[in-house]
Amino acid sequence: MANEILIELNVNGVKHAIAVRPEATLLSVLREQLHLTGTKKGCGLGECGACTVIMNGRAVNACMVLAPEADGAEVTTVEGLARGGELHPLQQSFIKHGALQCGYCTPGMLMSAKALLDRVPSPSEEQIRQGLGGNLCRCGSYPRVIRAIQDVGSFVGRKLDTAPHTQERDQERDTMVVGTSVPRYDAPDKVTGRAVYTADMRLPGMLHGKILTSRVAHGLIKRIDTSKARALEGVLDVLTGADVPDTRYGVSPARYDEHILAKERVRYVGDEVAAVVAVDEETAERAIRLIEVEYEELPAVFDPEEALADGAPVIHPENPRYANNVNTRVQWAFGDVEAGFAEADLVREQRFVGNRTFQAPIEPHASLARWEHHGEKLTLWSSTQVPHYVQHMLARTLGIAQGKIRVIRPAVGGGFGGKAETTPLDFCAVLFAQRTGRPVMMTYDRREMFYHFRGRHKQVMNLKIGVKKDGTITAVKFRSVLDGGAYTSFGVITAYYAGAMIPTLYKIGSYEFEGLRMYTNLPACGAFRGHGVPHPRFAFESLLDMIADDLGMDPIDIRLKNAMTPGTRTVNALDISSCELRATLERARDESGWREKRGHLPPGKGIGVGCGGFVSGAGYPIYRSDFPHSNAMIRVYEDGQGVSLHIAAAEIGQGSDTVLVQIAAEELGIPYDRVHMVECDSTIAPLDLGSYSSRVTLMAGNAVRMAASDARGKVLAAAARAMGCSPQSLSARDGRVFVTASPSFGMPWEEAARLAFSAQGPVVGVGHYRPPGGLGGDFKGSTVGTSPAYSFSTVVAEVSVDLETGLVTVDRVTDFSDAGTVINPMTLHAQVEGSVIMGIGETLMEDVVHLPDGSIANPNLHDYLIPGIGETPSSIFTRAVESYEPRGPFGAKEIGEGSLLPMLGAIANAVADATGVRVYELPITSERILKALKDKRGGAEARRT
Amino acid sequence: MELPALQYHRPGSLAQACALGRELGESARFLAGGTDLLVDLKQRRVQVQHVVALDGLGELKRIRVEGGMIRIGALATLTDVAESAAVVEHAPGLAEAILTMAAVQIRNRATIGGNFCAAVPCADTPPMCIAYGGSVTIVSSTGDRVVPAEAFFRLPRRSVLEPGELLADVLLPLRKPGRGAAYARFSRRRSMSLAVAAVAARVDLDGGRVREARVAMTSVAPTPMIASEAGAMLAGQEPTDDVIQRAARCAASEARPISDLRGSAEYRRDLVEVLAVRALRSSIERARNSSGA
Repeated sequence: MANEILIELNVNGVKHAIAVRPEATLLSVLREQLHLTGTKKGCGLGECGACTVIMNGRAVNACMVLAPEADGAEVTTVEGLARGGELHPLQQSFIKHGALQCGYCTPGMLMSAKALLDRVPSPSEEQIRQGLGGNLCRCGSYPRVIRAIQDVGSFVGRKLDTAPHTQERDQERDTMVVGTSVPRYDAPDKVTGRAVYTADMRLPGMLHGKILTSRVAHGLIKRIDTSKARALEGVLDVLTGADVPDTRYGVSPARYDEHILAKERVRYVGDEVAAVVAVDEETAERAIRLIEVEYEELPAVFDPEEALADGAPVIHPENPRYANNVNTRVQWAFGDVEAGFAEADLVREQRFVGNRTFQAPIEPHASLARWEHHGEKLTLWSSTQVPHYVQHMLARTLGIAQGKIRVIRPAVGGGFGGKAETTPLDFCAVLFAQRTGRPVMMTYDRREMFYHFRGRHKQVMNLKIGVKKDGTITAVKFRSVLDGGAYTSFGVITAYYAGAMIPTLYKIGSYEFEGLRMYTNLPACGAFRGHGVPHPRFAFESLLDMIADDLGMDPIDIRLKNAMTPGTRTVNALDISSCELRATLERARDESGWREKRGHLPPGKGIGVGCGGFVSGAGYPIYRSDFPHSNAMIRVYEDGQGVSLHIAAAEIGQGSDTVLVQIAAEELGIPYDRVHMVECDSTIAPLDLGSYSSRVTLMAGNAVRMAASDARGKVLAAAARAMGCSPQSLSARDGRVFVTASPSFGMPWEEAARLAFSAQGPVVGVGHYRPPGGLGGDFKGSTVGTSPAYSFSTVVAEVSVDLETGLVTVDRVTDFSDAGTVINPMTLHAQVEGSVIMGIGETLMEDVVHLPDGSIANPNLHDYLIPGIGETPSSIFTRAVESYEPRGPFGAKEIGEGSLLPMLGAIANAVADATGVRVYELPITSERILKALKDKRGGAEARRT
Repeated sequence: MELPALQYHRPGSLAQACALGRELGESARFLAGGTDLLVDLKQRRVQVQHVVALDGLGELKRIRVEGGMIRIGALATLTDVAESAAVVEHAPGLAEAILTMAAVQIRNRATIGGNFCAAVPCADTPPMCIAYGGSVTIVSSTGDRVVPAEAFFRLPRRSVLEPGELLADVLLPLRKPGRGAAYARFSRRRSMSLAVAAVAARVDLDGGRVREARVAMTSVAPTPMIASEAGAMLAGQEPTDDVIQRAARCAASEARPISDLRGSAEYRRDLVEVLAVRALRSSIERARNSSGA
């Protein structure tokens, strides 16, 4: 182009002369022109630090450097850290300490850490917190990042060490691989920038699409004029509601209520209206601004309780079932609640209000679609947690045979439920690729992510608990009004979950629940870690403490009094199998020094407890089918030197690939590094429902174990033939096949595997998993909350509250979890630590705020505050308690979601302990605390006068 | 969200920069560190066709002691300023204020001049410069002028700069025995978070009494502002808790906060009082420790 500017850049020691557009940023030059995609784009606004590089010796956000300003600069990116094939000590330390999960923030973290270490070779923890304050990590790997940086000296001059981290063990074990803290399977690629996320992909002829969204909260589309956009040079195609199928899509089959692009009505600011595809992203962005849309604005409603009122604007008038904006109504009564309350010595009732929180993964959503063979074969790369549901929904909505759709899930930079459904990006990329015959990439920017939303439902809750004098819970009555936003998404399930999980933690004699999920003219809410349960759990744990206070009971004692026990059928017909909630309570109490601290801390210091737990995979799939939920194949290499594991489970940062590889290695009897995870691709791995409802370890783990057992059986059979013994007399362990009764007789595993291939051709093991039949009761909605197994955990949080400003600092967290047998202690602890960090954000900081016109006041990471490294408690102590889940692989169950649930209550209770006041609305901001303190003082003064 | 198409200019001298600024007027913005401007351009909050990059003006990057004052070039990055030996010695309160700002990556790019010229209500460097009694030099083709730091701001995002004018330096006085300064800031996250309220204080003690005190605030008015009455109240007083408390209350009454995402007006006023007490206490403590030094 005419006004391009020639700049010189020395990147990782290589000199480049590059012509750049004046408005290019260093980030776009690195990624688009030099193809150094290790440097990530998380926000484009200097808020997240994912694009941190070192420029002339200093850490900078590459998105905040105008390319011409970098002329003559020396730049080091993550790709420049490893030298001569040897990883930098920092990279090794990150791997060893598990200082990364989804890996999307990792390149930026590493560069900030490198810049810090270049200036301060042995930084203190405080210096690390200062130096990395500009790098946000939504997985909450901060405690490990701090440790990895402090321990970098141990890795200087060393080769990559892949031995398990030995200090992370919790339990005794007799397994070789399961139960060890082997390094994450994906870590080497994630610390080098080699891991490819969807937005890193480039295909020849690739186009870029963008979506235009509604600027009004509720209205009818009167006219759309796309002519100016079409006329813009570089624009290839434009789509509006008229061009997309009439078939509605969604998540819950009972409520498919979305069109790919709005047909006639828009229901929130951000509703998708039109889309453009162009030669590059800038042109597509310019083009959508040229589309003229005329709306007839309609009255809108933004509050779920107001949406219920007579005369409120009707958001889905086309369907009479939603006449009063009630999207989902749940009415459950188990046992005689009135008798339960009559029997109680104390009944307390309280209103609690939750917050709209956003998953805010650092990786923005991205989709890349390509059609081949004259439109006979579609490939979609998508940053999704649920490749199968995307495949299913594309097939269903677009009328394409499922077999023609290949869905590939590249590395995913965090999801937390926000990438658990098919997005307009997926649909539009596919449609554009079909119409243009070229590959099409579509991404959300940070703002668009907030508007697409699918975050946590805000719940307005009324909770009533009755107890006997000794603390025994006699009855619970719970009503929740959920703000669902404009569409259903997961919301039917959310409304049921809100009520279903209440009776799983404590024994409750009688229980009544009413859930009302309301449509409002706001972005649609969906599934977010702990799906529907964190707010009710916050309310319950808070009210339980208030009751304990009234009874003069210790909060831990009242929990122990009512704690769930193994082998219990709850009042709502959920079968609790393994359960060590009591042990988590007792051990958290003892480890935290609860008895010495509770009631003995000075003003401004507080200690509080909270419990939580979650399903280890939903008992039923989202759409009805008899398919097994998880399926796996293992192919033994011809030379026997290893195996490939084919499974479409979704590693999104939680560490599931690592866990599945461990399970496979253990069952096969070979070392961890001989199992190779094959890319998640629907053509080479069978159906798996994906990463939601904390299902992977248990469900995919069982399928993998079965496949491995199948493959091992074939290898052992070949060995048995050669050795002239029965296969039953043989074992496989740590790369050897041997006679169980006399282990010195045997052969290397690979030799046995070669014999198997030589004799019979391909050695393939297959496995599948389906939950036990008949889970749940026979009432409406009884399937939600069912699961083969449940996790349980207790958190004790210790906080300091500045009584003058209201600022809360979470100082220390003690967590004990019953996650069954632990497959990988390091990744388990990382998940718990991440929950601690996220819990701090959800309880104290996070809230998506809407302006009176329905737009979002804080659709960015500068105003929507997620915790940074500075919010990391100085001590997080996490342990798993001994437990064995008979339905889990090697006794394992979930950790990722359940571990978040105790946090909200624990912090709320600690703040109440520190301040003597309670805030009933999330987030518990410093301002709300100060106001409660002032109100209390005002009340006290008023009483004196 | 990408940048709009831009024309990029890179003047080699201050005179050229001023001339370009005047010629391009409202269609251009000066580009220093870019950490505010690029965000505003990407979000289309600022819509211009030209950027005039100042990074060729090496003389504006220097920090030096000259003519009985510290002269901080407007293009010195926040990191440069916070780490400058002159600043650390003579105006340590400014280094303290800077280290509360944003995060390393931003401070490595953002400049002190940019922080002034963006003139956002929550700017963190101006209050401390005001408290120190600092000023700024403004240059243009028609001549230079010096403006007290507190008089630089007019409205949110609006300073006294006219088209063709450039902020060249921030000037601060040299240290004195018996002087102490401190910055007390409240934000909802430790890094990468704008101040909900912040108070800068500088106190000169003389034989146990306050000779002169200045208090300035940010995020609690349309612009960074001086709390002149609060400062004046302290002059000649022995800085007892009661005196400090009264001055802090006065500062709170001088604040003109609004309610926004970060906090309500009422909360901000409460914070000003608390933060003013803290900033004054630290200043006095530091002033006592610096006596005779």
